[in-house]
Amino acid sequence: MEERKITEFESIEIITSMISRTKDRLVKGSGNILLMWGYLIVAVTALIWVLLVTTHNAAYNWFWFLIWIIGGIATPIMAKKQRVETGTKSYTDRLSSQIWSIVGYAAIASAFLCLGFLLFGGKDAWSMMFALALVIVPMAEIMQGLVIREKCLITGGSIGLLLGLFTLCCIAAHVKLVATWFMPMFIIAFAAMMIIPGHILNHKANRK
Amino acid sequence: MKELNPLLHSQLRLAVMSILMNVEEADFVYLREKTESTAGNLSVQLDKLSSAGYISVEKGFVGKKTRTTCQITEEGRKAFEDYVDALKQYINLQ
Repeated sequence: MEERKITEFESIEIITSMISRTKDRLVKGSGNILLMWGYLIVAVTALIWVLLVTTHNAAYNWFWFLIWIIGGIATPIMAKKQRVETGTKSYTDRLSSQIWSIVGYAAIASAFLCLGFLLFGGKDAWSMMFALALVIVPMAEIMQGLVIREKCLITGGSIGLLLGLFTLCCIAAHVKLVATWFMPMFIIAFAAMMIIPGHILNHKANRK
Repeated sequence: MKELNPLLHSQLRLAVMSILMNVEEADFVYLREKTESTAGNLSVQLDKLSSAGYISVEKGFVGKKTRTTCQITEEGRKAFEDYVDALKQYINLQ
């Protein structure tokens, strides 16, 4: 493209052509952050599951914080790298980022509330964190899927949400979330919510 | 009838403005690829748009490489909208 005067009809052509060139919803590595969180959660859950089942020592539950520490550090680094590689930030990117920030803040607030219950009331409210993980995260994923029109995110999020509602029912009905069945369910939920959609997004982006 | 803004009524500057209307920010490489222009020409046109206050240009570093990021300003957004309005009038007349 060079610098020259144009006709009115050429102006319209340029505007429509440039708009269509910025419409790519998926770029290479679109699913990487989702994959990082998915594999991180599955790995940490599997580790805690094995430790709890073999040692019966509840102190290993503190390892859950590894998810927030590692994920919290890796996410902004990966997001910045992706923005530099794609060379642009769209309004959809900002909306998605804000949706996930709300999830992050809700998780931090919930962790402090649960810690408060434990330290000041001697009550164990940590099961609420599972409900949060399986309700708020899928809701955010479904919203993102609706915004960028990706069925894999909507489907994955819906599976997670269904398992989250089941978890809420268990908590309300005082059914104990026992590691032997709950942890595998948690792993399946995050594989469906993050690992599978993450690979689908990357596959779609690479094919483009 | 409104007059077409001469600053926007040129191929490359209009292309850059059309892209920046649709994204929150875009870097120099992205704009060069999407507009299929040369670095020198793009640089000159970005300077003109920036001098008019239509875009803001931020120069930073990613590692040791420089990265120039552009964003449309409110003034630029208004100018683009006015340009499209004027364009509609011209096309309706023909």
